[in-house]
Amino acid sequence: MMRRRRRLDWSKFGLGTYFVIFLIFLYAPMILMAILSFQGQFGQLTFPFKGPLSLDWWRSLYDENVQPFHAADIRTAAKNSLYLSLTAGAIVAFLAFTLSMAFRWRWRFRSDAVGFYVIMLALMTPGYLLAVGTQLFWAKIGQDSGIWETALGANVIWGLPFGFLVMVAVWNRYDPRVEEAARDLGADQKRTFREITLPLVWTGIFGCFLFGFTLAWNDYDRTVLFQVASTDTLPLTIGGFTFTGAIRPDLYALGTATTLVSLFTIVILLGVAAVRLRFVGRGRVYKAEEELGVAEGLEGSVAPVGRAGG
Amino acid sequence: MSGSSGEGTPRLDVEELEQAEELVEQHLPKAEGALGVAEGPQRRGGWITALWAAPGFGFLGFYLIAPLVFIVLVSFWTYQVGAKSGFVTDWTVSNYTEVFQDRVYWDNMWSSFYRSLIAVAACLVFGFPIAYFLALKVNSLRNQIALFVLALAPFWTSSLTRSVAWTFPLMGREGALNQLLSKIGLSSIDDPLIEPLSETSVTLAMIQLYILFMVTPLFFTLSQVDRTALEAASDLGGNWWRTFREVILPQTMPGVVIGSIFVFVLTMGEYGTVRLVGGNAVSSVGTIVNSKVELAVQYPQGAASAVLLVLALIAGVFVITRFSNLREEL
Amino acid sequence: MAEEPVGRPSEGAASAAPSTPPGSDGLDLIDVTKVFPGGTVAVEDFYLHVDHGEYVVLLGPSGCGKTTTLRMIGGHEFPTRGDILLDGESLVHLPPHKRPTTTVFQHFALFPHRSVLQNVEFGLKMHGMPKEERRRQTMESLEMVGLAPLADRKPRQLSGGQQQRVALARVLVTKPKALLLDEPLGDLDRLLQLRMRVELRNLQRQLGLMFVHVTHNQEEALSMADRIVVMNDARIQQIGEPLAVATRPETELVARFMGDNNIIEGLVASREGDRLIVENGTVRASVVAPGDARAVGDKASVAVRAAAVELDRNGSGPGDVNSADCEIVFVEYLGDLVKLHLTAGGDRMLAKVPGEQYASLRGREGETVRIRWKEEDVRLLR
Repeated sequence: MMRRRRRLDWSKFGLGTYFVIFLIFLYAPMILMAILSFQGQFGQLTFPFKGPLSLDWWRSLYDENVQPFHAADIRTAAKNSLYLSLTAGAIVAFLAFTLSMAFRWRWRFRSDAVGFYVIMLALMTPGYLLAVGTQLFWAKIGQDSGIWETALGANVIWGLPFGFLVMVAVWNRYDPRVEEAARDLGADQKRTFREITLPLVWTGIFGCFLFGFTLAWNDYDRTVLFQVASTDTLPLTIGGFTFTGAIRPDLYALGTATTLVSLFTIVILLGVAAVRLRFVGRGRVYKAEEELGVAEGLEGSVAPVGRAGG
Repeated sequence: MSGSSGEGTPRLDVEELEQAEELVEQHLPKAEGALGVAEGPQRRGGWITALWAAPGFGFLGFYLIAPLVFIVLVSFWTYQVGAKSGFVTDWTVSNYTEVFQDRVYWDNMWSSFYRSLIAVAACLVFGFPIAYFLALKVNSLRNQIALFVLALAPFWTSSLTRSVAWTFPLMGREGALNQLLSKIGLSSIDDPLIEPLSETSVTLAMIQLYILFMVTPLFFTLSQVDRTALEAASDLGGNWWRTFREVILPQTMPGVVIGSIFVFVLTMGEYGTVRLVGGNAVSSVGTIVNSKVELAVQYPQGAASAVLLVLALIAGVFVITRFSNLREEL
Repeated sequence: MAEEPVGRPSEGAASAAPSTPPGSDGLDLIDVTKVFPGGTVAVEDFYLHVDHGEYVVLLGPSGCGKTTTLRMIGGHEFPTRGDILLDGESLVHLPPHKRPTTTVFQHFALFPHRSVLQNVEFGLKMHGMPKEERRRQTMESLEMVGLAPLADRKPRQLSGGQQQRVALARVLVTKPKALLLDEPLGDLDRLLQLRMRVELRNLQRQLGLMFVHVTHNQEEALSMADRIVVMNDARIQQIGEPLAVATRPETELVARFMGDNNIIEGLVASREGDRLIVENGTVRASVVAPGDARAVGDKASVAVRAAAVELDRNGSGPGDVNSADCEIVFVEYLGDLVKLHLTAGGDRMLAKVPGEQYASLRGREGETVRIRWKEEDVRLLR
């Protein structure tokens, strides 16, 4: 018995150490990048750190007067990114929700498998290819292929399967019998949906929105084909700097900033989830003594007719 | 003949038990059928379902199916300088024959395929202990989720940015790692251990980017393994390796397959990272398609290479699923 | 003997031809049939009349159709054929929210995101009652179930019994004409179950409301019902008062399901007027069955309640009809009574004797005893 316990601790400790190393491995690049963004005027793209510690590179992100004078481009790109991502997120949330509603009740039919595979196809299609195809398609139907028509669509396609999977998980946890109860008590379909269904799943929908937002916010492959200076997104800007060799600490600052925004969305999601999940559990907690005590309460409060006794 | 006490071999009176069971569980399929159908609101409305499904599938049709179909179509059309979009709708298979004869293309395709397989294997080997730790060693659910989110967070950032951060400050010629290794003498600035702009560096970058796609499915399947079953196994005297092989591994197969498919597909289709980390020395099919499309504007050939890429992807996925009889239920 | 008139003899079904014509008070199910798409027949040929104020229990094993029947009354399923009337008005075309019935579900189905108060007032809110009046009636209902102090809690913070009472309050506040209960006690601790049976029954009596209750627990049915409808295989097997169903089962399923019956399946060995002797090779039982048309050689089954079986200590008397020599397999002591598990030539028999006799029976497994019963306790099964 003692031996077993010691063994268990050892493996847990070993794996735990490995986990920490793993985390370092994952976070190191970003942390190093962040550190390097605080370099001084002669900062370079890699170590050693050339001080003094300075916020100048960060300042150059929004102040046009600070070299290397990218602020205007960055501001435009940030705006584009924001609008694009918000829109993508909203569309993903909407489509993931509606699709999952369609799948709720017909899960056992064969045609659903086809539908499901199509959704998964969206996940597996290489982003760059999809962009090419979209561009070709739009060109053929004779429309403009600006970023809003094309890249937006491709980004939504990328986010949709993730959102869909989230909603599937949400519906799995969901107890449809509360809908029956609501209808039993006098609520018609619309009211049931509004009062019962929606409030119980909106966290999932919000999660889809954040998924769509973040994936679009970070995307490069799906947007790069439509690169036009005025409609560039932040990742495209970063890509532009990188591939033209303009790698300076301001790039690192930009990268760190965009990363922070992404990480922030996780925090939001977790916060919302933590709050809501507290009472959407199906835990049935009951203790015999408490039951008995309170059962007597029931007995006492109803004026008994010919007291039958406990 | 019921098993009376004291006579013959001791055994349970199965007949009695089965009779009781039959009584209680009578027509269980019927009940299940009834309940299964009865659950959830009206099932009559086939058209309601269609209404719900319409926006999603409409969007998918327009932005996923149509582009893909179009790629296939264009791959059969002819390239013509000066034509609108660079091609005319004359049917031909010449694009394919050209691609088939293109040695460079096949080399690249193969190296890309190979690289993806290595990435899958590496992600599996390095990622499994992580998933194992989270699912089976961490005790409270809350801690599990907290650590899992901690590990998952980097995925929510741009892969390009991460590649930049991976390459220059860390892995590059003058990156921190190489400097460190140089000081120890394992490497040098001029002749680094990990040659940048090489297959190796690209593969390493891929692992860093996509290992989380392996860890996540593994984590989910591993967390479904019943810990008490593991305890029972060790009670019965099994050593760890045995338990692992016979109890844990089979149950994790769905996760392994899903994770492998994810990593494989994502790494094969990669474009930005390969360009960045590998420069022009390393290609993926993504970069090949790009070279044909963006630089030479040869859409038909680009389309043909793309189609072949997708076929290769499907083949790869097929191979992976053969490794286990995946009857997965989401 | 308050037994239900066995109508429709041609079908052999123990359904009650409505003793009061439809169009009058109460709940009527007429020729209700439900076939699911795919061909599963869930309910067939269902006829029942329930008076206001009556407590009716639908009893049967899983899959017998009782829940489906209840759901059809409530509007969550629609019959393939037949009609359901409440006070003369057909309900069949109404969706659940328009019916004057409400249902207590097995797993309560409380709204997790709403407080107890909001849960209970939901029905009133849907019917458009103004807030003041709504609150008042809701609090009344909560008082009735003893949960007024917990009005602001969320369901997750309540125990199982409390949750059930919220479910009760929630349906009662809407003052339905009929209350439908789908295995309401199934999720509760056994101890609580026993208590709630009494409380629920009391409540129903005071309210004077029609309760239709579905369960698979025969003890529960016996304890609570005014009438029991035993179902199996989509059909009604027997309708009757608890006493009748327990002591005079009409079919083999009812006999087996109610438990503690000895079933002798055999052939008619001889017949004298209305008296039949049924024999299965080891045991012979005689029964008086007027109106039964079986002849010698026909198959017949009889049931004898275990409680009606006595130990023949003297071993006297012709051990022929209505008695048997058995070997004791197991002496099961249950406090108030002792169940003697016996075997007679391969057939299991059961006898119930008072608990005081345990001392004299203990440890006698393997011995042979003679049991006997009276002819009037033998029931011929359909």
